[in-house]
Amino acid sequence: MEKFSAFNHFAVPSLGLAALASFAGAVPSAHADENLFGFVRGAETLPQGHFDFYQTLTLRTSKDVGVYRGWDSDTELEYGFTDKFQASIALANRYIYNRGVEDLPDANHFTFGGVETTMKYRLLSPFKDPVGLAVRLESGWLLHDEVGGLLEHEMYLAPEVILQKNFFDDTLVTELNYGVEWAWGKDPAEQYYKEFAMQGGAGVTYRFAPNWFLGVEGHVRSEWPMFNFGNFEHVVVYAGPALHYARERWWVTLSYNYQVYGHGVDEIARSQTFAEETRHEIRFKVGFNF
Amino acid sequence: MSDWKTFALPAALVLSTSAPCFANVYLTADQAQKLIFPGASGTPWAGKLTEAQKKAIEKASDLRIRKDPQIWQVSGGGWFIVDEVLGKHEYITFAVGLTAGGAVKQIEIMEYRESYGSEVRGDKWRAQFVGKTAKDPLRLDQDVKNISGATLSSRHVTEGVRRACALYDIALK
Repeated sequence: MEKFSAFNHFAVPSLGLAALASFAGAVPSAHADENLFGFVRGAETLPQGHFDFYQTLTLRTSKDVGVYRGWDSDTELEYGFTDKFQASIALANRYIYNRGVEDLPDANHFTFGGVETTMKYRLLSPFKDPVGLAVRLESGWLLHDEVGGLLEHEMYLAPEVILQKNFFDDTLVTELNYGVEWAWGKDPAEQYYKEFAMQGGAGVTYRFAPNWFLGVEGHVRSEWPMFNFGNFEHVVVYAGPALHYARERWWVTLSYNYQVYGHGVDEIARSQTFAEETRHEIRFKVGFNF
Repeated sequence: MSDWKTFALPAALVLSTSAPCFANVYLTADQAQKLIFPGASGTPWAGKLTEAQKKAIEKASDLRIRKDPQIWQVSGGGWFIVDEVLGKHEYITFAVGLTAGGAVKQIEIMEYRESYGSEVRGDKWRAQFVGKTAKDPLRLDQDVKNISGATLSSRHVTEGVRRACALYDIALK
């Protein structure tokens, strides 16, 4: 309990303290268009009148003690309203398995995560303009959190700027994301009612053979409960490889990200953080184009 | 689940879905030639692009030559070129018919396998290239209109036609 001594000071059950993650938080979950990476997004949009269906499966596993596996399933439908504007709706579900994880009750259950929507508008094309630029707004209503599958009534809003630059006849693709998130209603899963976060990601991938891309990506997130910059909670950085394969009507992406750095204000270790995060994140996506 | 299974299962899932599928072949080279040069016959070009010519073509067209194009001299005058450009995932195979003077007579998309952007096969868009030569910019949004929602394919096919015109100018003229 040493890590959460500050929280205990406020007499909050350790159960809730461990469940500090928001659904859209450390593992951004709603996606758009064909994804070359698991976690980083590009500036392309769907052509007008086209649908995409996505299924994403994310495994978050390994904490400092105990056995922990958090599976996130996101099922998403996306539509291109114009060649520059697309929107999507997604259903999130979770499966949580943990045994002996500090400050988290043992669990082995499925929970309904919630509903998410996204809108993305492309301002500049990565295929025609010097750099691709898009703005994206994600929002959601979440019933259970992603760490313990605990009850919450969260609403969140997450605007984001997306940059994409392609090189060598579009065989080398670089993407950069930066965004923020405001979330309300995170209790009772968390101690605090609301939270502010900054999050970003970057990736570079190369088309090493027809249909195949291989690259590396990383994503970072910092959180401040109660929208208070004096109340820093934790920062985490993940990085790892991403493999993408696409055919005419479908694509798949597999990404593995390792927590290369983490620091939580209430944790002693300063190289990794495990209260809300895990050591490994593995994400598999499949998309179908209509 | 043991650690190795945890990591190996998703990888196996990706590999298992990467089975080969058949390309969308709209025209063979023979069919494309007959469409562009009705009633004419083609003789394979006896020459071979030298490294110096390839570099000159790449420089003039601002596009790398990844694979040597196939070239035929057409009876009655003219050239028939089959070439490839990169699509988003696979190659787009196209044919360019050039007049004896090196102007584009017609282009045809022979193979297209991308999720989106097949609008480049449309008659109206392809008609923009008729009469273009190596002296023209052949650039998207300059003398060639983009197809919104098919920008990558539009750009790459335009670049491919520019390279065909440069090929004529440097090696066939």
